[in-house]
Parts: sequence; C-alpha cells; structure tokens
Amino acid sequence: MAGKTKTDKTGVSRREFMTGGGAALAGGALAGGALGIPLPAEGAQKPGAYPLSTGYLVYDSRRCSGCQSCMLTCSLVHDGEAGASSSRIQIARNVFDPYPQDIQIFVCRQCPEPLCVKNCPTGACHVSAENGQVRMIAADRCIGCKTCIDSCPFVPHRTVFRVSAGKATKCDLCADTPYFSKKGGPAGSQACVEVCPSGALRLVRELPPQKDNAGYDRDLTAPAVKS
Amino acid sequence: MATPGFAGRILLVNLTKKEIGELDSARYEPFGGGHGTAAAIFWELCVAPGGWDLQDAFDPRNAVALMTGPLAGTGLSYAGRTSVSGMSPQSWPVNWFCHSNFGGSFAPMLKLAGWDGVVVVGRADAPVYINIVDDRVTLEDARELWGLTTWKAQEEIWRRTSVHYGREWQELGQGQTLQRPAIVTIGPAGENMTRVAALVHGGGSGAGQGGFGGVFGSKNLKAVAVLGTGTVKVADPKAVRDSREWWETRWPVSAEFPGPAGIVHSSCMGCRGRNCHNRNTAYGRDSDNCAEAGWYAVAPPAKPTPQDVQLRSADIVQQLGLNAMETCFMGPMAFPVPPDFPVQPSVPAYTALGWYLKKMYDLGVIGPGTKFDTSPLPMQDYERGEFADIYGLAIANRIGIGDLLAEGTVRFAEKLGRLPEDFDTLLRLTAWGYQDHWSMPAVEWCYGNLMDARDINNHDMSLGPKPGLECADFVKILAAGTARNDPFWFDYSWQGERAYQTGIYSEAKARFVAWRQHYATYYKESALFCDWAFSNLYNRNSPDGRGYTPEAEPRFLNAVTGRNHTFEDGLEIGRRAWNMKRAIFVMQGRHRKMEKFAGYTYRPGASYCGFALELPVFDGSRWDWVNCRELYLEDRGVEQWKTHFYNTEGWDPATGYPQRRTLEELELKPVADTLQSAGRLGSPP
Ligand code: SF4
Repeated sequence: MAGKTKTDKTGVSRREFMTGGGAALAGGALAGGALGIPLPAEGAQKPGAYPLSTGYLVYDSRRCSGCQSCMLTCSLVHDGEAGASSSRIQIARNVFDPYPQDIQIFVCRQCPEPLCVKNCPTGACHVSAENGQVRMIAADRCIGCKTCIDSCPFVPHRTVFRVSAGKATKCDLCADTPYFSKKGGPAGSQACVEVCPSGALRLVRELPPQKDNAGYDRDLTAPAVKS
Repeated sequence: MATPGFAGRILLVNLTKKEIGELDSARYEPFGGGHGTAAAIFWELCVAPGGWDLQDAFDPRNAVALMTGPLAGTGLSYAGRTSVSGMSPQSWPVNWFCHSNFGGSFAPMLKLAGWDGVVVVGRADAPVYINIVDDRVTLEDARELWGLTTWKAQEEIWRRTSVHYGREWQELGQGQTLQRPAIVTIGPAGENMTRVAALVHGGGSGAGQGGFGGVFGSKNLKAVAVLGTGTVKVADPKAVRDSREWWETRWPVSAEFPGPAGIVHSSCMGCRGRNCHNRNTAYGRDSDNCAEAGWYAVAPPAKPTPQDVQLRSADIVQQLGLNAMETCFMGPMAFPVPPDFPVQPSVPAYTALGWYLKKMYDLGVIGPGTKFDTSPLPMQDYERGEFADIYGLAIANRIGIGDLLAEGTVRFAEKLGRLPEDFDTLLRLTAWGYQDHWSMPAVEWCYGNLMDARDINNHDMSLGPKPGLECADFVKILAAGTARNDPFWFDYSWQGERAYQTGIYSEAKARFVAWRQHYATYYKESALFCDWAFSNLYNRNSPDGRGYTPEAEPRFLNAVTGRNHTFEDGLEIGRRAWNMKRAIFVMQGRHRKMEKFAGYTYRPGASYCGFALELPVFDGSRWDWVNCRELYLEDRGVEQWKTHFYNTEGWDPATGYPQRRTLEELELKPVADTLQSAGRLGSPP
C-alpha cells in the first residue's frame, strides 16, 4: 500500500503536501520553539539539505512467508521486548485475501526529503551523519508530540508511536539497537534482514525509485550482489 | 511476579455466569505453561471440588483451556503454538482429559495482549464470542455468526469493528496496532457438537484431534478473538536473538514441505521457515500441508483423486471445522495387506471415517436393504469431488447418516454393531478410538497412545537407515540426544527372549516411553515447541548427525525466562504435569485393566501400515536395521511392558494408580490426598 496517497482535510493529498514541506517545517519549528525546547545541533537541518541515506530496506512481498519474525526481532533488538505494535517493520496479513495481496509489507523508505525529520520540533528525528545518514529518532530528545507520525506521507505511517514509552520511533536500519549483539546501521547488519527465513528483505545502497512502490517492493529472487 | 516469558495472568471466563476473572499464572509455572498448566487448572476447577463424574466432555462444567507457552511471541522459532486442553468428546469409551494444539499467530497475540491463556467454563444461554483487546475482555453476541463457516466467521468478526486492519494504524486504549485480531473459531461441525470438530484459526491452522470444536459448541462459544498491542518481556534479549541464529546456523533448515513447483509457502508466527502452509494455491489457501491437504483422496482400488480436487476439499474440511485426520479418506497412503488381514488389496494407514464408511457400504452393512440409510450421501459418486462436499456437510450438520458419522469412526462402528470384531481386522484404532497413524512398528508411539489419551503424533523419531552411518553409531546418537544414553531404548527386537530383555517389552522400552511422555508433556505441549520439529535426536543437516535435542530446548527457554534450567529440569516439569494428568485420568476411571490395545495389534503383520519400517535391532551381538513390517504384539509382552512402565513412573503396577511417594516427590501432595479419599491412590511399593 506504500505510495498510496492520504488526503488531508484540505483535500490536498499528503504527497502533494510533501512538496510544500517548508511550510510544515516552519510550523514544526515554531511548535518546538513555543515549547522552549532547544534544537540540538544535529537537528538543525535545512530543507533540501538532506544527504541521502546510505542504505535502504527493500522487500519482496511475494516471497514473504508472513512469519513476522522480522517484527518480533525488530522490537527485541531495539527495545529489549518483543512486540508487534512497536516493530518498525510491519507485516500485515490477511490469509483470506488472494495472493499476493494477502501480505503487505510496510517499511520506512528513508526518504530523500524526510518530512519526519523536517517537521520534528526538537530535532529528535534527524539524519544521522554518524550512522550513514539514516533517518532516525533519538529517544532522549523525543517529546512524543507525534509530529513525525503526522508528517509521514505514507499510509500507514512508517514512523511508529510506542505508547508504553510515550515516544515515537522509526526504522534506523538497526543503528540504535542496544539489544543486538552485532553492529547495526547502514554499514552493519539489520536484524530483520538476518532473521528473515524467506530472503524477502534486503539492504540496498542506491536510493530506490521514488515514484511508486515498485522500487521498494521488488523481486528479490536473484541473490544479493555485494556493493 | 511472573517469570519473563510469561504474561502473569490467565483469563478465566464463566459463560454461565457471564463472569470474567483471572488466575495468577505464576502459581502454575511449576507445570510449565501450556498443557501442563491447563492440567493443574483442570484439577483445581473440575476434579478437586468433586461433585461430578468427569465423564461427559459436553458437560458445561468441562473447562477448556487455550494456553500459550513461555516462548510464544518472543521471536524464537518453532515455539508459538497454542495448546488446547480439556475433556475430549472424541476419545472412547471415556472422554479423557486430552490435549491438542494449533499454530498461526493466536498464542503470540494472546501474549501480546497480556495473557498466558484463556480458560472457559460453563455454557452461555445464547451464542457468544470472547473478544480480547489487551486488558479489555467482553462477551459479544454471536447469534449472527452461528452457522457461518470458520472462514466467514473470522471475516465477519473483523468486519464488525469497521477497522481497516492492515491499512491504517488503529489507536486502542493501551496502544496502537496495524495487526488484525487473531481468531480461533468453530464451524458448523463444532456448533452441532459433533465429536469430529476442530478449532480453526486463520485459513488452516487447526486443532482437530480431541474434538474440542464440539466442546466450544456445547458451550455456545463460537470464537475467541484477540488483539494485543503490548510486548513480551524476556530475560536476555540478546541471547534470545543469538540463540535463534546459533540454531539456524548449526542446524540449517531444509524445507520439509517443498510442494509442487511455484508454491509460495507461509508459516506460523515466528517460524524459521518450515513452510507448512501455502500462500498461493488456488484452493487450500493457507492450508496446513498435512492431513487436510490429503483429506479427500480416496483409497485404492479407487483411482487416484486429482490434486486439484484434493486441494479444493481441503478448503471444505477447514471451513466446516472438521477434524481432518479423523474424517479423512486417506487414499494416498495405502499399503499392501499381509495374509492375516483379509480386508482388501490395500488399506490406508488411517482407517478413518471416509474410508470405513465406504467399506461398510461395500460389505452391505449400510445402504440399500439395511437399516442404515446412507442418504444424503451419493455413494455411487464416492470418487467424485462433490462427494466430499456432501459428506462434509452431512457430518457437520448431522444430516441423515451424517448424524451417525458425526460421532466419529469408533462410535459409528459401535452403532453398526461392528465392535469389537472390527478392531481385530478392519479398524486400525490403536487405543481410545484413535487412528493408528504410524504408531507401529516404532512401538513407543502406540505405547504412548495407550498411556496418554489420544494419538500422540510422535513424528519426531526418525529411525530408519541413515546414509554413511552404522546402526550402532546411529543408536548412540539417538541415545545421546535423550541425555540418558541408553542405546537399548532404540532396540526394536520383537521376537523371542530378546524382545523381553532389551526389545519392545523391556524395561528399557518402558523408560524410553516414560522419557518421551515427560519430554512431550513439557517441551511439546507446555513450552509449545512445534510438534513437527521437536524433539530432534538425529539431524541429517548436522555434520556429526547430532540433532538439536537436548541443547536447543534449555538454551531457548533460559534465554527467555532467565532461569538456569537443564534439559533434565524440563523433563522433571514434564513428569510433574504428566503425573497430574495421570491423576485426572485415574479420577475419570483409568485403571491398568483398561489400558489395552485394539485386537489388530496382536495379529501377525500388524505393522504393515507403518511409515518407517526399517528399525534398529540388536541381535545380542550387533546392531542392524531390520524390516519390522511383520512386527506385532504379544499380550504377555505388553503386560510385562506395562508393569515395567508403571514401576518406572512410580505407579502401582496392580492398578496403574500413582503412588503417594511419587506425587509428593513432585510436590503434588494435595493430589495424592484427593486420590486417597477417592480410594484411587496406588499402594506403596
Ligand atoms: S521475516 Fe521475512 S518472511 Fe517473515 S514476515 Fe518478515 S519479511 Fe516476511
């Protein structure tokens, strides 16, 4: 379903709205300022000034077995507790829908113009230079305002709200995984890719085509080529 | 405080009183979770208070439990099944306390909702379903769901909430989710209280054996739906993930069910890819590739049933909520019959209802000119796919002869006046009315059936010849896997004195069966390791042939729970739960005298339907694989074996009743007291 547009109250689709993201940033920054929260250095990123992520999670929804191991492992390595709601990758399954619509995979696209980053009032949601420019949320700076969640242009939103923690989170390609015994991040391992028994998840280096979903939901039958 | 891996609470629903309560699951942890915990709860709710005879599974007082194990929802693989327990309407002649289990995502979801299980007693005055969303538990009106197939009922429950599951995040009281509720439900077969009714979850995850669908029906309970937004806490998250990786690397999986080319498989939640289900077959969507996939395949001499007809029929059995194993036709697995079984040129491994019906028709026991009218079944169309539709509908709705068939194979035979004679020849119902399955010649399976209360599905013993391995080395590997190191557990000598010394009637075999029952009661039915994958004593993908038992089980469990349990500690939990079950059986009337196999097992050639016929045999000096197709049992030998078994278990060999010392050793003194008051405590040794 990724790539489908969501229409806001004005009737302007979110993806169209994305092109007017500067206004959204202004609103976000204002909100942060109004709350008196200082913007940390790494958060001070200008619109249009985002370096591309050096990694992207792509998937093959036709190969997926629907086991949701990726979800449980994602929450485990990030939060130390296994959960479905807190997983940054979401596998939605309806066994009564015909193949291949029976399984939908939703992952963060590491957008070139990340509205979640752009609109975060505290800079918690940021592009991390230390972690291969992945878009990630620093939990200690998140105030749980859900701006990043409302800003995500995709339905369902890829930023995830952890109700128990009162904070937002998102896929960071395992950059911040205190419960992962391997090095994560774009240059390291991703717990979901490693656990997937079906070869349905893969990390790629190049920015996938952004026009629709096909750049992310792709045929992964051929083995990965080291890049 | 609950141990990590456990949610800490068990939901207790009384449908008669419309009361929703809870039990502290920490109290039951000594029983391991799952079926062990359910046995302890059954004892407390149904046995200890007394006041009824524990004979009728459809009595509203029967407590049916859906239980998780400590590993469900943790991301560990092959470990997320849901256990089902309670008195079973399928077993014959007594409705023994019994177990079943099913896969899918129900157990992980229940745990994510904060519950270790759901126990249901009583009977609602009108159809209801139990709806669980985290802490919020409600009884919902199911009158409009009554009559729906298992698939339609699930879709209707999803539709009712008007949430676009899987499309939008849904805000709930305690969390938010993109997931849809996991639902276990019954179809018409359960509603009409047939004894061959399954619980079905998703497209094809089902608990068929035991007939618990009928127990739901007797309670006016259509379904249990659960949506959880929480988490499962584990003691050592790194160790949980690492142990899965260790296991997958050391013992790489090979797809056990490759299926036809082009099949895309699906799995239960957390599965590492055993691929038991299909995503993309035209029919049989998400079918388990086991009994239901071959449910309607008629036996020779009929011509083979085309695969598309079989797959289409797999849908029917699941939608009606029928126990596929018990009602199947089982044609693809037909075997040549030895001379002592003058039945017909070949007989299926399971002489289940679909086959036996035709046999009775061909013999003129039912049908035209008899007092058993076969309508509405078009017997002349037995080999056509439409027959399966009508057969299924007739049973599920108790129409015409379907009313008799709905009682299951053994009671159908009884009604036709065919017992006990057919037990000697036609009906391979090893014990308690359950199908033979593959329970001979690898006799720990049939012994397990006899000492338990159903077909124990002992698929995990892979005993046939292994390339590049001497038989003596092979049995050493198996013996090491049990952690008890007795190679004679695996001696299938069945003739002469050897059978009594180290073979199938020996003390070694009794110890092996006891080990197997303790293992299964804990690891498979309570910790809920997948029945298809555990135990694993030998593994062809491992360089030294060693399987992952006994290493993997404690490693996984300790990572989750933070305990420091050994494999043996787990066996002891299993022994405790097994003795609790034994006490329940005894209170239901179990006695040594009742523990008798069906007559066919004592006839030469009884093992001809075995799946793996080449078994290790020790001839007094060396080990070799020997074809045991002719293996059959001797009454004297079985009785000797029983004596060994009761002694091994610490049960009175005269009666099979547990002895006080045994129960007290397992911290079950109150159980011993209850047995004593009932005059059913074993005499001291
Ligand atoms: S782990 Fe792989 S196969 Fe399993 S749900 Fe995730 S993407 Fe699908």
